[in-house]
Amino acid sequence: MAKWGMVIDLEKCTGCQACSTACQMENSRLPGENYQDVLYYTEGRQPTPQLKWFPRPCMHCEEPSCMHVCPTKATYKTEDGVVLIDWDKCIGCKYCMIACPYGVRFYTDEKALIEPNIKQVFKGDGDLSWNPPYKGPQQDPKHGVGIQPNGVVSKCNFCYHKISKAPKGTADLDESNPELVEYVPACVRTCAPKARYFGDLDNPNSQVSRLISDKQGTRLLDHTGNKPQVYYLTGGGAAAAAVPGTRANKKA
Amino acid sequence: MELLKKLISRRRFLQVSGAGTAAGAAVVGSGGLGIGQLSTLKEATAATVDSNTVVNKSICAQCPARCGIDVYTTNGKVHAIYGNAGHPIANGKGCPKMHLGTYILYDPDRFKGPMKRTNPKKGRDEDPKFVPITWDEAWQTVADRMNTLRDKGESHRFGLFFGRGWGATDVGVTLAPMAKLYGSPNIGIGHSSMCSDGSVLAKQCTDGNASYSSYDYRNANYLLMFGANFLESFRPYNNNLQVWGYIRGEKAPKTRVTAVDVHMNQTLSASDRALIIKPGTDGALALAIAHVILTEGLWDRNFVGNFADGQNHFKAGEPVDTAFNEKWTQGLTEWWNVELKDRTPKWAEGVTTIPADLIVKTAREFATTKPAIALFERGAHNHSNGVLNGMAIHSLNALVGSLFAEGGLAYQMGPAYGPAPANPDDHLDDYAKNGPHKDVPRIDLKGHEDGYLFAKNMLQEVPKNHLASKPYKMDTVMFYMTNPVFSSPDATAWEKMLAEVFVIDTSPFPGETAMMADLILPDSTYLERWQDAPTYPFQGWPLAQIRTPAIKPLYDTQTFGNTLIEIGKRLKGPASEYYAKLENVENILRHLAKGFETTPGDNGVNSFESWVEKGVWYKKPYHWRQVRGEFFEWDGQGWNKPMSAEDVKKKLLKTESGRFEFKSSYLDSKRDWVLEKTGRDPAKFNFPHWEEPRYTGSGDLHFVTSKNAMHAEGRSANLPNAIALMQPTAGGRRQVCAEVHPSVAKAKGFKDGDLIRIKSTLGEITAVARVTELTRPDTIVLPFEHGHWAHGRWAKGRGSHVDSIIDNQSDRISGMANYYTGKVTVEKA
Repeated sequence: MAKWGMVIDLEKCTGCQACSTACQMENSRLPGENYQDVLYYTEGRQPTPQLKWFPRPCMHCEEPSCMHVCPTKATYKTEDGVVLIDWDKCIGCKYCMIACPYGVRFYTDEKALIEPNIKQVFKGDGDLSWNPPYKGPQQDPKHGVGIQPNGVVSKCNFCYHKISKAPKGTADLDESNPELVEYVPACVRTCAPKARYFGDLDNPNSQVSRLISDKQGTRLLDHTGNKPQVYYLTGGGAAAAAVPGTRANKKA
Repeated sequence: MELLKKLISRRRFLQVSGAGTAAGAAVVGSGGLGIGQLSTLKEATAATVDSNTVVNKSICAQCPARCGIDVYTTNGKVHAIYGNAGHPIANGKGCPKMHLGTYILYDPDRFKGPMKRTNPKKGRDEDPKFVPITWDEAWQTVADRMNTLRDKGESHRFGLFFGRGWGATDVGVTLAPMAKLYGSPNIGIGHSSMCSDGSVLAKQCTDGNASYSSYDYRNANYLLMFGANFLESFRPYNNNLQVWGYIRGEKAPKTRVTAVDVHMNQTLSASDRALIIKPGTDGALALAIAHVILTEGLWDRNFVGNFADGQNHFKAGEPVDTAFNEKWTQGLTEWWNVELKDRTPKWAEGVTTIPADLIVKTAREFATTKPAIALFERGAHNHSNGVLNGMAIHSLNALVGSLFAEGGLAYQMGPAYGPAPANPDDHLDDYAKNGPHKDVPRIDLKGHEDGYLFAKNMLQEVPKNHLASKPYKMDTVMFYMTNPVFSSPDATAWEKMLAEVFVIDTSPFPGETAMMADLILPDSTYLERWQDAPTYPFQGWPLAQIRTPAIKPLYDTQTFGNTLIEIGKRLKGPASEYYAKLENVENILRHLAKGFETTPGDNGVNSFESWVEKGVWYKKPYHWRQVRGEFFEWDGQGWNKPMSAEDVKKKLLKTESGRFEFKSSYLDSKRDWVLEKTGRDPAKFNFPHWEEPRYTGSGDLHFVTSKNAMHAEGRSANLPNAIALMQPTAGGRRQVCAEVHPSVAKAKGFKDGDLIRIKSTLGEITAVARVTELTRPDTIVLPFEHGHWAHGRWAKGRGSHVDSIIDNQSDRISGMANYYTGKVTVEKA
């Protein structure tokens, strides 16, 4: 069984947010509630200010603190290494949102960022929090896939409706391979500068394993012990996309 | 994909096709998704698995780049868009805008069908009181007005103004011939003077090509970018991002980049060197770089030539009188003597605020890290001195020999289209040939001595000229893919004009122009229509893509091309025969594709059907290449056929001299007019030279209204998912914010997040202040996007309408609107 993981090369990331818009399209996300955000930071002064950015999906940790605090075991780790939420079990207590060191979880029924609230324009029926005409065909609450129901927490699922269909034993879900492109997470598939890679971390011959080895892949907030399955390549200093310093000034 | 196709039965495919999806589409199944799991789920929340997904090829519409897209439709609903892997611009990839397409299709504020106005009063606060009409009534109403004007000999008083034209089906074969067939110089006034004509004229004045350039970025080792925000807004955006990942992350040696702009943006941040320049002074920087290249002897001898004695006689401040044998350029030592000798880095520091040592370093790197490209766009040329700035920057390409070189820049070849179904010249009556419209100038005074003699279009001048009855008043105006009531400089002037004339809008969306309209003829959105689109200048070799509908139009809309054909059929005289022969857009496409039968594309496209299946026809390579000062033409195997000087002049360097002209013969051809209208020094008016920009207004801050990455061809302002990501670098999530330096905020007594008032000579707007070090202390940056007074429920009333306070001043040579040249004051609101 694969242990899926992602590598993000910050030296190539242009901060364009296509990962965010592809994700919101694929996962029918509400405005501003992206499973995948790019965070922007400024430091320094004119005429030499710094602008930096940091793309941040769910880290799909090996030791997910969100899972450990969940009172109903709604958050769980799949055999192939993905952290998911079973919306049928989630009671919306938000413990996981507090426990997650990366701030990548969303609760429904928050105040809409953009008014008028689009949920009122495309109203949901039954359990669904809204029902846009452009929603994807997949609706799989056991794996936290599809339109978010009312009263639950949601987050990046590594496009589980796609990756779970990949042929067993695949080392890398490479979007340039026509046989595999439909199984690649939306953010990886669309990333124009090819800053994202997705593959089996347990396979030492996978492209992701090679990149982590060759380019010293690092993990965000590794001291928490969560052991993310998302690795960053920092390119040795020339990249504008960067791991933010603790004193950096966060915008957006 | 073959494997996936097998997962779905043919029967199922036919069912879906019959339900209104496009012909020729590929099919993707979702086979294998946990079918076994379904039975274990509670019924109330059972997973739904759908394998009725159809994928059709189309073209994105969010920018001019024309990326090929795969559109995913399941059970008649479009839910996903990804890049077409077989398309050379998209390569399976997407920019952030590509994924917004479904929101545009299902925008709840779209017009649902043709309508006419019943409230004769027009204005921001007037409800047009539109009522539905039939398409026949809509088309007939337009044709009747056109016929009546023609009967009176006033056909020139009908105008058709357009923005984003796509290709033959909406412009080349339908719109453009109408000017000739009907007889009006005002049919086909484009928006190019509000887009990027500054660069087109700069190229035309120097190398004779009135065009944007094609670029071979992947083989370049150095990029020097002026005001072309490569990673946020420059076209083709998606491909630029792909290029960036390659040249910065994979290519050996890594391409070095210096970027010039007025604030710290993503491009400057990601580059090796950021030069944050005073607005309007890019030309001074380019002249100083040229000065260093010459004084340090770094010019390309193969392309430019050399002094007869082989010594370098370019010494700062000293004129040159030694003979210089120029090879492919013209006027180098004259340029030096009248201008460049005094354009030292120290001088340029005083003008641009860029430190002299950085100018020297940039010049040395640029000239010694070849191939190198100097590129520029609106930031550099949206000023009164714009064409001069552009000429100075483009001259750097000549100095380092990048024109038509591998890793350099060139121009674009057109597609091998077949002939249209009819020829307009076969359908001209006497009125069309000799009517009174032949003797009247265009309403925008393009090409007129009183107006803009060199300009391609002057759409921004239309309301001013109409209101002054100079040269005359319009009667009926029709709009396609443009909303100047919102986006033109001094935008409110359009409201006054449109209150006086009969207005027809064809947008599917309730924009400001539509609110002033008497007739609404809504176009189908891009995922619902057939259309062709040859490429914008990309890599030189020809490329033409096709839009195929993912679904039938959701509402009672008509593709603009078909609307024109239907109006044309209702015109009096032989024009109607022409449009009857066109039949419809799909018929035109079939005729265009005939050309591919004799010239098959590299991807095997040789028919209409295969074009639809692949979404694109293209044929590599670009046919010409300059190698170390010699020009060669492609002979089928390689660039092996040497070109004569006459051949180069005819095909590549299309100036009077057949060379790259530092001394422009094109400007000299209208010397008296240029000198009179610009007041420029007769000794240097046709050389790239420094001229202070004429800033509009009298404020203390430069006002720059930049374009954001999320600006999706005018519709982002009504897309909540785009609004939330609109200005990430400055945190503009509900509306865009005004970037202001902390020193300004302190002096004016406001804080980050405060509402501020921005005042120009035209009026004032309010904006949310973002106090940041990203922007220069003398500049305020407020991206254009919001401030709509119509346009849909999310757009209306959000943010600041920047173009209402931007003066309508244009570069007298290029006609380019000076969007970025205002000076304003700010205060706490």
